[in-house]
Amino acid sequence: MGDLVLEKLSIRYGRRPVIAEFSLRVADGEMVSILGPSGAGKTTILKAVAGLIEPVSGDIRLDGKSLAGVPPDKRNTIMVFQKPLLFPFMNVEQNIAFGLRMKGMAQRQVRRAVEDILALTQLAGLDKRKVHELSGGQQQRVSLARALVLKPAVLLLDEPLSNLDANLRQQMRELIQEIQQKTRVTTLFVTHDQSEALIMSHRVTLLLDGRLRQVGRPQDLYHHPVDPDVARFFGGTNFFEGRFKDGFLHTGFGVFELPAVNGNGLPLTATIRPEDILISVTSDFELEGQVERAHFEGMATRLWVKCPGGHLVVLAGRGEFFPGQTVRLRLPAERIRVFPPGAVEPV
Amino acid sequence: MKPLNRTIIGGLIFLAVGLPFLQLVIWSFSNRWFYPGLLPQLWGWRAWHYIFDTAGAQIVGAIGQSLAVATVTAVIALLIGLPAGRALGLYAFKGKDVISVILILPVIVPPLCVSMGLHHWFIRLGLAESFSGVVLVHLTFCLPYTVFVLWGVFSNYNPEFEDQARSLGASTTGIVLRVMLPMTLPGLVVAALFSFLLSWSQYLATLIIGGGKITTLPIILFALMTSGDRPVAAAVSLVFVAPAFLALLFSARYMGRQSMAGIW
Repeated sequence: MGDLVLEKLSIRYGRRPVIAEFSLRVADGEMVSILGPSGAGKTTILKAVAGLIEPVSGDIRLDGKSLAGVPPDKRNTIMVFQKPLLFPFMNVEQNIAFGLRMKGMAQRQVRRAVEDILALTQLAGLDKRKVHELSGGQQQRVSLARALVLKPAVLLLDEPLSNLDANLRQQMRELIQEIQQKTRVTTLFVTHDQSEALIMSHRVTLLLDGRLRQVGRPQDLYHHPVDPDVARFFGGTNFFEGRFKDGFLHTGFGVFELPAVNGNGLPLTATIRPEDILISVTSDFELEGQVERAHFEGMATRLWVKCPGGHLVVLAGRGEFFPGQTVRLRLPAERIRVFPPGAVEPV
Repeated sequence: MKPLNRTIIGGLIFLAVGLPFLQLVIWSFSNRWFYPGLLPQLWGWRAWHYIFDTAGAQIVGAIGQSLAVATVTAVIALLIGLPAGRALGLYAFKGKDVISVILILPVIVPPLCVSMGLHHWFIRLGLAESFSGVVLVHLTFCLPYTVFVLWGVFSNYNPEFEDQARSLGASTTGIVLRVMLPMTLPGLVVAALFSFLLSWSQYLATLIIGGGKITTLPIILFALMTSGDRPVAAAVSLVFVAPAFLALLFSARYMGRQSMAGIW
């Protein structure tokens, strides 16, 4: 079992507060990512769960039992660090067996457990290799195997992909997902890469400035951000002012019929994702604009379009666009997200 | 570098280090060697006979005394130097610069001054002419070096390894024995050898604080040198240098082929 609850966790380094009242529940077998920019305090949360840092206040519970005062070696929560941190004076097998030996497991059982985990992490045959003879990807897999072999209740992964190149990263990502599905180990996963978080986790927790901003399924955070900061973190660039009145949102880009929101008559901030804006040269879309810049990004072209009501960034999947071109745009009303007043103002 | 260049440079280094030793070896096996003879007129075992037979008890006693003082000094220096080096290497705190100046003071101030100053206090405290007094005065020279070496060792040490081990279920003792010591062992060996050899070669401080009661090998060696019997002095010098030489070989071997690659 691995039902993890973090309740109003606050952590400080000296006098500097790093995490403020962070609460999260990770169900048994779930894979949840903590996403946030560098320095947001993501790793700090993992260290607190692993018992390497004492929180100032709040509680961490595993299967209903508080972990307060429980030393790291008795917690059954195992952390895999950003760097592989393999002990250089041990070979692969000895590294993986480290935790088992610390537990005092018999040699034969250790051998069997290590063999199983080598197969699971696709490291079979490398058991006698020295650490420095391994590639970066292999080192990271040994590091993962060393944690998994202990069958922890909660696996804590601190950006295990960040040291790998793009190709290896994808392989490792798939491997972690596969292992997580097979072993059903509760996994708390830290990353600063939003696509990684979206792809890998059942649920995503967004941490900005030491505070939890939003938690939910990847689709929720992507399509229904709770405030402009969250939207911005997931690549949102189009923020505009509007006023909601009697079922209609009045903005510089037009009037849109929307379901009712709080704050009737008050100034509001709205956003629309660049890929949700329809763009065409020929059709009769109601908004006219001029392309100022066009960046070809492979899968799509990113366009900066100047409209009478302001600038919009548009991601165009097809068609050739060039600066100076006159284009027509449509902002589908159902794709516009309105933030109630009180949500953080756009910069 | 090309192999030929390497051989030449290796040969030159060997000559520079080896020739003075060759001289000592020849001296120790000469019974008579006068100017202008390039080699001794009469070869013999007289010096070695003297060391191991006539003055055998005295020399063996001195070797034992030297070994005891140097070993105890090295162990204490390591025991104090390890936590000190760890703190200095891993943590940032106020007054680190001041500490480094204080540490280097006994090295800068001439040993004679340090020993004379301490002698006064040691007499008062009843430490003069005692084994522990000599060890203490040796520590004033050995400890700074040990701390500096271990400071360097821990500056390159990643304490995250310990966090990782702790998370994998290691206790504090387990971390020290299974992670910290193996990771820093080469540095620890160097630090221990350093203070062992420093203590082994101390003459002045031993003479002043030991007051002739603690007769280590350098004390005997100086006495023999001043007596003018060169073959015997050469033989004692070779005995004196032996542990240093063995230590060098041991450490070079221990540090692995990587560090030896530059030597051979």
